[in-house]
Amino acid sequence: MIVRSAAIGVIQSALVALEAERQFINDLNVYPVPDGDTGTNMALTVRAVVEELEQSSAADIPSVAAAVTKGSLMGARGNSGVILSQIVRGICDVWGQADSLDTVVFKHAVAEGQAAAYRAVKEPVEGTMLTVIREMATAAQAVPDGLGLEHLLAAVEEAGRVAVENTTAQLPALQKAGVVDAGGYGLLVLFRGLAGGIDDLMRGGTFAAGVRLAARAAGEALGGAAAALHARGEQRVEVDEPSELSEYRYCTSFLITGDDVDRDAFSAFLEPLGDSALVVGDDRTVKVHVHVNDPGIVLSAAVRLGSVGDVEINDMHVQTRQRDERLAAPAAATVTAGGDGGAVVVAVVAGDGNRRLFRDLGCHAIVDGGQSMNPSAAQLLTEIEKLGAEEVVVLPNNGNVILTAEQAAGMSALHIAVVPSRSIPAGLAAMVAFDPAGDAVGNARLMQDAIVEVRCAEITHAVRDSELDGVAVSKGQAMGIVDGRLVAATDDIETAFAGVLEEFGRGEPEYITVLTALNGWGTTRESLEAIATRVVPEAEISFHDGGQPLYPILASAE
Amino acid sequence: MTQSLNLENTAIVCDSTCDPPDGFFDRPGLYMVPLKVHFGDETFRDAVDLTYREFFAKLEASEVLPTTSQPTAGEFVAVYEEALKQYEHVFSLHISGEMSGTVRAAQQAAEQFENVYVYDLRTVTSALALGADRLRAHLEAGCTLEEAQAYVRHFIDHSSLMIHAATLEYLRRGGRIGRAASFVGGVFDIKPLIIAQDGTLAGYAKVRGLKKAMAAMERFVEERSKPDDELYFCVIDAINDVEPPLIREMIERLRPNAHYTWLGHVAAVVGTHIGPGTSAFAMIAE
Repeated sequence: MIVRSAAIGVIQSALVALEAERQFINDLNVYPVPDGDTGTNMALTVRAVVEELEQSSAADIPSVAAAVTKGSLMGARGNSGVILSQIVRGICDVWGQADSLDTVVFKHAVAEGQAAAYRAVKEPVEGTMLTVIREMATAAQAVPDGLGLEHLLAAVEEAGRVAVENTTAQLPALQKAGVVDAGGYGLLVLFRGLAGGIDDLMRGGTFAAGVRLAARAAGEALGGAAAALHARGEQRVEVDEPSELSEYRYCTSFLITGDDVDRDAFSAFLEPLGDSALVVGDDRTVKVHVHVNDPGIVLSAAVRLGSVGDVEINDMHVQTRQRDERLAAPAAATVTAGGDGGAVVVAVVAGDGNRRLFRDLGCHAIVDGGQSMNPSAAQLLTEIEKLGAEEVVVLPNNGNVILTAEQAAGMSALHIAVVPSRSIPAGLAAMVAFDPAGDAVGNARLMQDAIVEVRCAEITHAVRDSELDGVAVSKGQAMGIVDGRLVAATDDIETAFAGVLEEFGRGEPEYITVLTALNGWGTTRESLEAIATRVVPEAEISFHDGGQPLYPILASAE
Repeated sequence: MTQSLNLENTAIVCDSTCDPPDGFFDRPGLYMVPLKVHFGDETFRDAVDLTYREFFAKLEASEVLPTTSQPTAGEFVAVYEEALKQYEHVFSLHISGEMSGTVRAAQQAAEQFENVYVYDLRTVTSALALGADRLRAHLEAGCTLEEAQAYVRHFIDHSSLMIHAATLEYLRRGGRIGRAASFVGGVFDIKPLIIAQDGTLAGYAKVRGLKKAMAAMERFVEERSKPDDELYFCVIDAINDVEPPLIREMIERLRPNAHYTWLGHVAAVVGTHIGPGTSAFAMIAE
């Protein structure tokens, strides 16, 4: 449990960093295809790791490392995501056999990460994330074994920074566009996030990478082309002429699950069909990524090897045009609802009381949401565009809406940062951190940091008999769920509430927020207040009438 | 020849927004010019006609929000004349010109005198009294005119003020909020931490709950001072009995060489803009 939660914390810190720079990394993306999705793909890949870990019951280093490998493989998206998953695999192969993470282990791990990434790519090209991981690994080997991990992390980060800066000169496509490599830069951002998380862990603190992380990533440590890009107004990459369209049109990726999948044979089959082919994984789970003109042929061949899932096909010609349009849009003076030049917030919220809280906290637009009435990407985009602002932060406030929000962001030419809030209380915590004068990226950092510190709970009744996290729940029982895990299944919601508070109490929270919708649930705010005073006497608690459907109680602890 | 300044030949004038502790201006050589607070047709001299508890009781009971007004240049002239009967030099230390026109009235008044030095301390409330008190300590030890002036400049550049406001409602209504304007306060139990910055009040952090507020204050002290600093600080309350002792304990724990000066009470004018339930502290490292 400790290893798992520490790993979640560290990787989440990397995710926060990636999410914050997602749009900028997308804008940098010109190679191999200027389809403008590298940042999104890397962030989604890392998010899949976090989700895998959150659902896993892994308790020791080998099983946590295996879960990280699995999450990154299953969730790998796009060229950069799949290569990243191989770096992760290499690192975890070494880490999984060690009993800690020290300088010696880390040196071996990053070297194996590099080796795994190179193995996956048929024809490695200089000036890509492969070059960056190689330079990082090389720098790591030069650090004496006796030095502390913090020295190693600093040396690797510096080598990564220099390597990213050099990519522009190494690859003609990058030089022409005047950018650094998107995947390489993304890898550096991710590493900085990881290093920040490890740093926090070593200090025994929580993962409030927060302001420090923001300062590290804000461009002063970037150097070279990327720094110039950062400096050149609002992190914009410019395009002078339409980007060339790729020879192969469809970016195709999927998973094959079978008994004994021959990766080399499938890789050889793909070779004449397209480019950027990656066939990775193990004998039973294989991730395929390839750029082709006819995905059908590829899929037909794949189904003969096993069951095919997670199929994703993107039209890169459309993506390239969208990226061009996005970057060609004039960097006009930002118009915002607040009129103060900062970002606006669009939140998906259910419940009148909750909507009022979001509005009081400065949220500019609210899209109705809820467990069974999630908005579509198009709906979200309409609300976003109505505001007429250029810098937008989206709070999905529901695990099922995060991807929709990401899609909406991908469809728009605006600077949209999605803060992956999984619940209304998490969204409120993010709103508290919102700075109306800041831009979308800066706010996304602040708001994500605020969420990382928050534990969220919900109480509802079971709609059917089931078993959850090893506990039998009968229909009609009240379930208390904290951070996605069942902590109480009882006959009344007061007892479930006490169970949730007890779970909260383990983390010695300072502040607990309770959003209620108690009508018809047979309890009152007064009873709940009395329970809270008894169970968590040390914490400060505030109750608000949320009015959300289905959940009599939503709560958070920070 | 540089003349030596001391308590016998130099006076200090402040305005009433310095929210002094009891008896502060009873000491020789210290003068206070009050601003005024108006409840409808009733006018009170700040820190003279109303104690701070009387003021907040009145604020709570009053249907209309009080307004405040600055002293006239004539009122400053009268005080300078009075002071110059006994003293050769006058240091006149005031609330930031961005927050009040008081310092401009003082400057206008000072034009007709040779040895009146008017300063905009770029801050407010007990930070001003702390500046006056520390200048007085330097005068007591004896210093040159240049040294005294250099000290005031040091204070302007290096003093810090942090306010834990119960709400921003009063500041917003009074238009005294500067860059903290975009800060949300009061809703969802957020009590904002605001600081004096560039002569106005700026947002420092938005926090919910006392523990988080104390942690943010701690961070501020660590940012603005070094562990072995000779730190002089005062704590200020506006109807808040809980936080001042915690703030004092926190600063004394973090900075072993800290000198606690006093607990000040927010008087009517600052109270009008800050509202009840607020606490604050000011500090200067020397």
